[in-house]
Amino acid sequence: MPSDNDASLVRVQWGSLVSAIAKRQDRAAFAALFEFFAPRIKAFMQRSGASEAKAEELAQETMLAVWRKAALFDPASAGAAAWIFTIARNLRIDAHRRERRGGVIETSDVEIEFQIDDSPQPDALLATTQSEERVRSALTKLSDDQMRVVELSFFEEKAHAEIAEILEIPLGTVKSRLRLAMSRLRNLLSEIS
Amino acid sequence: MSIEHHPTDSMLAAFAAGTLDHGQHVVIATHLLSCSQCRTFMRSIEKVGGEVLTGLSPASMSNDALAKVEARLNEPVRPAAADTAPTVPETEVPGLPKFLRRYRFGNWKWIAPSVHLRPIILPYASETRVFLLKSGPGTKMLEHTHTGIEMTCVLSGAFSQDGGHYGPGDFDLGDETIDHLPVVESGQDCVCLVAMQGELRLNGLIGRIIQPFVRL
Repeated sequence: MPSDNDASLVRVQWGSLVSAIAKRQDRAAFAALFEFFAPRIKAFMQRSGASEAKAEELAQETMLAVWRKAALFDPASAGAAAWIFTIARNLRIDAHRRERRGGVIETSDVEIEFQIDDSPQPDALLATTQSEERVRSALTKLSDDQMRVVELSFFEEKAHAEIAEILEIPLGTVKSRLRLAMSRLRNLLSEIS
Repeated sequence: MSIEHHPTDSMLAAFAAGTLDHGQHVVIATHLLSCSQCRTFMRSIEKVGGEVLTGLSPASMSNDALAKVEARLNEPVRPAAADTAPTVPETEVPGLPKFLRRYRFGNWKWIAPSVHLRPIILPYASETRVFLLKSGPGTKMLEHTHTGIEMTCVLSGAFSQDGGHYGPGDFDLGDETIDHLPVVESGQDCVCLVAMQGELRLNGLIGRIIQPFVRL
């Protein structure tokens, strides 16, 4: 993990880098985002079971999508990191589907499967009370064990069984630990600061 | 009418993480459509995803990775496929998310007195079968057990179960350990969206008689 002392400063800039791409197709902004995010997206894909070459390809595709979709980024509803995560997640799902179809590429529908309604405004309003900052501070309140299951739950379809193996604990323990971690997280998020 | 029964936090988290089976994704999405509270939690899990992503130790990219992507930035973007007309309009089956209304729906099939089933054909391989289940007022829903998880979201009408009221938007989870016996409330048909994993086993005499004819 990088030990950026000015991590919070960098975080603020990511959003404005995406906006710079949207407003003036700023290639320097893109290069800066690429430098930070591409290697992490690649790690994310590898942790999710993709080969090195596939993970590299998916990291590049995700960054290309960041460039193309920059105008859709809404700083009021999500942080840049969360937004980039959702693009990577959708491409990972898409890649799984293509694999099962024997490599046939079809236009992906993944994105609309996560657009649950046509009126995102009420969400955006609520989102401000659950800002990135708030989510981050809630995460710091989880125990290390809880944080590990939360982290690992993002990676694979067979998430629970795999977590059990990695952490060398019974599957039931993983499930109960994850359940506890998630309800703790929900409580922390709904607390009024 | 407010929604009282929700998916667990870890199901919502799996939805946001993108690790749910597609059939289950469909039912959770349907609940999320009518439940802003769960939607908010799901969106904050996406933010957790952002945090997890930024916290990963970076893998090394190939030397020409950035150059390769930069070379493609000016490529024309293929226009998104035009929105196809929904196969099932909101007026016919209320409460379904837009993307789901564009899937192929089979015909209603009779499966028991006042119980009908309409399969939904998922465009992607899934471990779960998804269908609409319509039961008439007062019907005891079929007593059954299953080998996997069953997720249900009420679309219209209502049923009672263990003293609880399940109306539109309410979510119910069944698994091999739970013995549910929902009864449809009076007044109107109850239509539910169901994602069922594993084999269905109908219990009781009627169940055993019709089992061979019900291809679920």
